[in-house]
Amino acid sequence: MARWIRADLRASKARALAIVGVVAGVVLALLLSAGLLQDATNPWQGIFTATKGAQIWLHLSPGTDVSKLSEQLTGIQAVAGPYSSTAASVILRGQRTRVELRSMTPVLPAVGRPLITSGGWLTARSVHGVVLEASFAQALHAPVGSSLVLDNVDETARLDARVVGIAETSDQGFYPDQTPGLIWVLPTLLREIEPIAGRTEEVVGLRIADPAATSIVVQQVVTQLGSSAVGTVSTWQQVQQSMSRRDPLLGLLLALFGLMALGAAVLAVINVTSGRVLLQNADLGMLKTLGFTPLQVASMMTAEHAIFTAAGILAGLGAARLLTPLLLGSVPGVSAAAATVPSGWAGIIIGGTFGVVLLATAAPAWQAGRVKPIAAVRSAPPRGHLSRLAGFAMAARMPPAVVLGARAAFVRKLSAALTICGLAIPMLMITIALGFWATLDDVQRNPADIGLAASVTASPGSLTPAQADRVVRADSQVRAAYYCVRVEALVPGETTTITTLGMGSSQDPYPFHVVQGHLYHAPEQAVATDALLTSLGVRIGQFVRMWFGGVPVTFQIVGRIIDPQYGGEVIAYGRDTLADEGAAAPIGFYSLILRPGVSPADAVARLMRASDGRMDVAIVSNPADQLGIVQAALAALIAVLAVIALTSLLTASLLGYRDHERDVSVLRAMGLTPLQVRSALMTRTTVLALMAVVVGAAVGRLVSTSLVSAVSRLYGLGSGIGRPPSYATLAAAIGLAIGAAAVAGMLPTRPLGRLPRVTVLGP
Amino acid sequence: MRMPLLALLAKEPAHGYELKTQLEQLFGEAYPTPNIGQIYVTLQRLERDGLVRSQDVIQATRPNKRVYELTDAGREAVVGWIDATSEGPRIRDEFFMKLALSQLSGTSDRLGLINRQRRHYLMQMRSLSELAIRADRRIPRLLVEGAMLHLQADLDWLQRCQEELL
Amino acid sequence: MTEVAANGNGGRLLLRASSLSKTYIGDGVVVPAVRGADLQLEHGEFVAITGPSGSGKSTLLHMLGGLERPTTGEIWLNGERVDKFSQARWAILRRRHIGFVFQFFNLVSNMTVADNVELAALMAGASRKHAKARRIELLGDLGLATKADAAPARLSGGEQQRVALARAMVNRPLLLLADEPTGNLDSAGAMAVLRLLDRAHADGQSILLVTHDLRVASAADRVVSLFDGMIVDDAPMPVKPRPTPLPDVLKLRG
Repeated sequence: MARWIRADLRASKARALAIVGVVAGVVLALLLSAGLLQDATNPWQGIFTATKGAQIWLHLSPGTDVSKLSEQLTGIQAVAGPYSSTAASVILRGQRTRVELRSMTPVLPAVGRPLITSGGWLTARSVHGVVLEASFAQALHAPVGSSLVLDNVDETARLDARVVGIAETSDQGFYPDQTPGLIWVLPTLLREIEPIAGRTEEVVGLRIADPAATSIVVQQVVTQLGSSAVGTVSTWQQVQQSMSRRDPLLGLLLALFGLMALGAAVLAVINVTSGRVLLQNADLGMLKTLGFTPLQVASMMTAEHAIFTAAGILAGLGAARLLTPLLLGSVPGVSAAAATVPSGWAGIIIGGTFGVVLLATAAPAWQAGRVKPIAAVRSAPPRGHLSRLAGFAMAARMPPAVVLGARAAFVRKLSAALTICGLAIPMLMITIALGFWATLDDVQRNPADIGLAASVTASPGSLTPAQADRVVRADSQVRAAYYCVRVEALVPGETTTITTLGMGSSQDPYPFHVVQGHLYHAPEQAVATDALLTSLGVRIGQFVRMWFGGVPVTFQIVGRIIDPQYGGEVIAYGRDTLADEGAAAPIGFYSLILRPGVSPADAVARLMRASDGRMDVAIVSNPADQLGIVQAALAALIAVLAVIALTSLLTASLLGYRDHERDVSVLRAMGLTPLQVRSALMTRTTVLALMAVVVGAAVGRLVSTSLVSAVSRLYGLGSGIGRPPSYATLAAAIGLAIGAAAVAGMLPTRPLGRLPRVTVLGP
Repeated sequence: MRMPLLALLAKEPAHGYELKTQLEQLFGEAYPTPNIGQIYVTLQRLERDGLVRSQDVIQATRPNKRVYELTDAGREAVVGWIDATSEGPRIRDEFFMKLALSQLSGTSDRLGLINRQRRHYLMQMRSLSELAIRADRRIPRLLVEGAMLHLQADLDWLQRCQEELL
Repeated sequence: MTEVAANGNGGRLLLRASSLSKTYIGDGVVVPAVRGADLQLEHGEFVAITGPSGSGKSTLLHMLGGLERPTTGEIWLNGERVDKFSQARWAILRRRHIGFVFQFFNLVSNMTVADNVELAALMAGASRKHAKARRIELLGDLGLATKADAAPARLSGGEQQRVALARAMVNRPLLLLADEPTGNLDSAGAMAVLRLLDRAHADGQSILLVTHDLRVASAADRVVSLFDGMIVDDAPMPVKPRPTPLPDVLKLRG
């Protein structure tokens, strides 16, 4: 049995490679999805595992002795630190931000070790090198290599520093939900900034055996150390909570695609395998003649494919190991921890893929077992008819090559159906992927569509409102400035307050992207996001009443907008509504819409200069910037799908050629030129491909918009941001697919130019 | 036996023993050569019929040997024999002899020989075909078919000869 | 641009080939398959080409049907010079005026018998009604009407060849070319095919076929013998059979 498998392998390298490639691609896609899905739904878990984190972090007053903690308390597995830490500020692009500096040594600890995502860790050589926490670095737009100025709280130190690395940690939540930002420095640098010992704290991390017993351990520790020594305590539950609510867009997308890729791969495998059975009828028949039972033949085929699948899985694992750090490390917003897939998931993926692919080979293997032991009788195609349609077409002087080719495509009905499915599904998925791409493209180029018309916000800071107003309006690069306020309001039925936004005035409203209804044009009109409307249980046209510091205001909801802030729950109205109603409005900020082509960083710098650094100016981050990886992943996915589709195509083409081969002489005798004979064969594959691709693209286009809407609704953005792939893109994709089909159809026919010497040889 | 001897003599005169040697060299083991006695008897008969004439050659140390040569009548007979088509169950042997000897006797070209024989087969087949159409009972039809199969085999062999000897 | 063949018979020749040769060159080996063949065929004539295998018979036939391009030589079909025709023009010629039958694989495998015959007619430009009518007529003549709906693979060799001949003759071509039409058949099948050829010949069909079967060759008007790429004999068969007595071969050998 093994000998046959080896010989067969040598004979059909291409097919073996195809299956291995397909399986590897699917496994890679699935592993990526699993990692990203986990990162999306529970980012803390990934980081915690990757950093071997501590569940409890304590900020203690300096000099507290923690050396005996692990001995005295049984639940503690390890202690991280103590690390000196101090409050400080960092000045970047003229803007001052509060930070926590924590000193760590160049040697990374065993527990609670920050996970480097870019650059490197602190080194003794680079004294002024610092490592930023990832979410903070992103918020600050400070990549590796940027220069910062560190300053202490007294504003007396002013040290130049350079970012040498960016790392993730599980000891605190993401910035800016959790402030201040975290920067790791060498102990020497910390002392330089803040030489006064009394101003530093000790930070200690505790890794405990039983996470459920966290609060008990905390109590014990505080008791042990004395409450006066303990500054703040944070637990893993708090951190996890704070870290969640990231966009599930990524992970869900890719999980979905991974599964569909698996489906398409199954089809491809079936196609390849059953095509192979048909092609190698003679060999399989020979095996039977030699005395192998049907069961043995079937199990030989299955064993062979099991080997291919295993090889493919290994290749996929290897590729994942190599590629995920590359893919994920370069894009912000995705934790590098996503590169490590928890073993549970990995096991399910591997086992599932193996099982599914083997199942896919079951039917063809059974078919192989049933091959009759008549040696070298090639299976003739089943009886077909020159249908009425074809007859009409011929009589109507349509090119006979096209008619014959098109007709020949459907003679083997099952094979045709398999090929069409095998091509339509990848096309469908590619179209959906293109739709997502178009949406992402749109969001990146037109942030206004997801409510991010303003790219810069500026608060007056230490300027008076009048001064701030002047500065803002005087800037030539600012196209429009809207004065906005952020007010907490109480809504009946909610235990907490919700943040409401008074953006611009009713006469000059902030240009939200309204997907349904219209903007507020009068006082007491408001627009809200889908997520908020759902949680308030209100629809467009209805009224909702809120209390602003005791003052009730009734709004009529006139429109639905898309806005990613505050977890997607936003309600906005004109400021004048509050003034009218007598509700107090706090100090506001300016939302600035820049002229096209102006870089936000430039604008910030200029405004800072214009206000002598007294205004607080910040860049509004576009969540879509984080989604660059999705585009990379989509591109990779499209490539995998294309490979899968190509496999189906080539198999169909080979089968068609084999059926066709014998008819070449007759066709030429009947008066077809060699070119026409080749065209007939090409038409056969192309017709199938055309049907499949058009159906796949049409359905995909229909579905992609609703799919994006569904996902964005999950995210809280509500429906309306979905963009289908443009007709031009689709036309190009379809054209490429048809071209590939034509080429695939032509490939086996190179020797068909001359009349083959089939007439002299036997059947 | 008569005609092969005549054909051999067409090349040059020879005595009985030489003729036997030539026959053996030509046909080898596939064809049993008659013994020397038979050859002499045949030569005498040919002489009696006027197709060959003999002459005694005096040899000093050995007994006299009799050398035979073709007469004009004998030469005519050879040509007539070679040009005529062959018939009968021994057809193959006779034809082959003609073919093998024709180059030696120089009396006709081999291609022509083969072509003539082929045309003969064609004619025979034509007759047999018509016979087959007229035959209405099974036994005669089978006979005809048997003959046809033999003829086909003969043609195939003819082509083999053509390949090998031309 | 066609040139008119000048021949001694005032244009009655259907086919004239002069100095036809075909040389294959490949891998440093030069194989002259056909060397300087001259061949003529009159309207309504039945000519058989015989010869040992490797003598170039098939190549010669393929050249006359436009399926191989001659290295040198001229071919005139019905007064028109055709050897320099492009593939496309040859193809059109084959649709309407030349019927070609091979030894194997004579029918499109994924179409029924009836469709095969009709397809040939459709390709020549016949209407569907006419194609169907001709098909019914021909298959009926052949006694294959019951197999009209079957797949070619289900027919015996002889039946397949008969259908192939029907396909080749459905358009009443000027010239019927056949390459070993009985080569693959048992004697019963061969007889059936021969009957068909005789009948077509009697109807006026011009036939040029290659065969190693003596019986088929003997049915022709002329038998051309090919050897080593050259024509070595061109033997006309008498129109009426010679009144020969029962051939000696039939006499029982005792």
